[in-house]
Amino acid sequence: MSNPSETGMVDPRIFEELQNKIDEDAEVREQIRAIVQTLERQGRGAQSVLSRAHSTPAAHLKPVLDAAEVAIKEEIASIKSLSDVASSSPYYKYNGLWTRDVQNVIFSILLCGWLGGMAHNNKAAEAGRLLTIEDVGEILNGTSIPTFQSLRLTILVPVNLKDRDAFHISIEEYLQSLITLIEELARLAVNSVTLGDYQRPLQISQFVKDIHAGFQILNLKNDSLRRRSDSIKYNVKKIEDIVYDLSLRNLVSKS
Amino acid sequence: MEPPPSPTEAISELSITSHPQSVSVSMSEMPGIKRNHDGAEKEKEVNSNASPFMPMFEAFRDELDEHHDRRERIIKASRDITAASKKMQVSSHSLPQAFKSPISNQLTPTSIFSLQRVRTLKSDIPAKIASETAERYAAMQKQFSAIAPDLTGINAWRYQRQISGGIQEYMEAVSFEHYLRHQALITISEAAGALQGGIELTGDDYVLGLFDLVGELMRFAITTMATTGSLPGGGGGSERRDILVDLRELRTCFQALDTGSCGGTGLGKDVEKKMEVMKTCVEKVESAVYGLIIRGRERPKGWVPGIADDRGVVESY
Repeated sequence: MSNPSETGMVDPRIFEELQNKIDEDAEVREQIRAIVQTLERQGRGAQSVLSRAHSTPAAHLKPVLDAAEVAIKEEIASIKSLSDVASSSPYYKYNGLWTRDVQNVIFSILLCGWLGGMAHNNKAAEAGRLLTIEDVGEILNGTSIPTFQSLRLTILVPVNLKDRDAFHISIEEYLQSLITLIEELARLAVNSVTLGDYQRPLQISQFVKDIHAGFQILNLKNDSLRRRSDSIKYNVKKIEDIVYDLSLRNLVSKS
Repeated sequence: MEPPPSPTEAISELSITSHPQSVSVSMSEMPGIKRNHDGAEKEKEVNSNASPFMPMFEAFRDELDEHHDRRERIIKASRDITAASKKMQVSSHSLPQAFKSPISNQLTPTSIFSLQRVRTLKSDIPAKIASETAERYAAMQKQFSAIAPDLTGINAWRYQRQISGGIQEYMEAVSFEHYLRHQALITISEAAGALQGGIELTGDDYVLGLFDLVGELMRFAITTMATTGSLPGGGGGSERRDILVDLRELRTCFQALDTGSCGGTGLGKDVEKKMEVMKTCVEKVESAVYGLIIRGRERPKGWVPGIADDRGVVESY
């Protein structure tokens, strides 16, 4: 048989080039995976700190929030490295590798913000507050939080990017994190009662209902967001049941 | 600081779902209690009907709607491209019977139809077939142009999973035609050039399209053998490669491709499946050639195994 590399059907460069592409892709994925692994570990750390909120009365939350902000700061540093690596590739090409962990970071920020942490950009911290996707973007950019300035993040983490291709936080990711926040607040409502705080479940109830109302106007298709957003109504009910129990026993003041 | 809703209101909403016995009491009391609140509280109550997050969610809704619309347009185009290609196979009624024999249909559910009527390699495609092919290309290209704006910039990769099927199908057609004309494998840059409107051809779609090309080549080889009694490409000068040499070379290249690193990605999974199909295709041609050599001399030109049983007559010759 004749030597295929010289007279064959296949130009040998074709498969060389393909192999190179495959290997380059693998390398990028490897780099991203390393960062994502770190992010995953940091995410668990931040969430374990934040879960102390379930056993801490609202009045004594400050140390928990401070510790959470430190943990979140570490996560933000990882997001920056992720953004550096990911920015050399199309965003949606590898997006699936990190989206879950980025959602975790957003969730930590949202929960910390709701509990009364995450003052940024001269906006005072306030319990019961919802950080918008823009707030989250600003927080991820780092510079707007005084304590985060040491990171000197130069790269921006834009939100809902449309006109150019770069690393960013997508609407879907924000909404996913919002659903996680609702699940967490349902748990917090139960535990607030255990801590003797009968007002917070009411606050949670109103907050979650407002978000639920928002989700109801979205036209969700049969995707993961749809499936998870179905869980919101069960959490709304769970929280309503707590409010009902409290009201039935006259444990909430009427004014 | 906290704006708790009136407990009565909370009760009433609950009652509707799970505690009907308390509905009558609280429902009738609720409006009165609301009005009796002091000013500040009353204001909160007034707003409590509309979620303060509505404007934010409205913006999200618009974004998501746009995204779903784009996604659906792309899925539809991808399906149309694939369906057009499959329909061509069904309508290829003028093809020799061998095409419709189970052997050749089994492994290649899709086919590029009119091009399969070509019987020679490395020559111009007969005008009639060429014009039909051009028409079909035009139809597919129209689909691609229509969705090209949805697949630019950041969205090029966003809908990769949705469009990839159509692109692979198209790739199969383009590479087959290229092979018929030049008896060579189309390169990725040549292939990318055949895509409309700046739609990106990924390495993955290119390779996966080439796997399907093998099935097409098998049909072409077997049909040509059945109708002309010799393997396409061979003959003539003794140095000329026949299609079996090409198929084996392709097989070697595919097998050398290391996709171990693509484990979780689409390529990793698809390659495994397509690799097996590809091998079977090459083996089919190998055993057909074997059959041609062993029995070929005894068989009248144009005779196709199986036809006699089905039809009771030997067609064409």
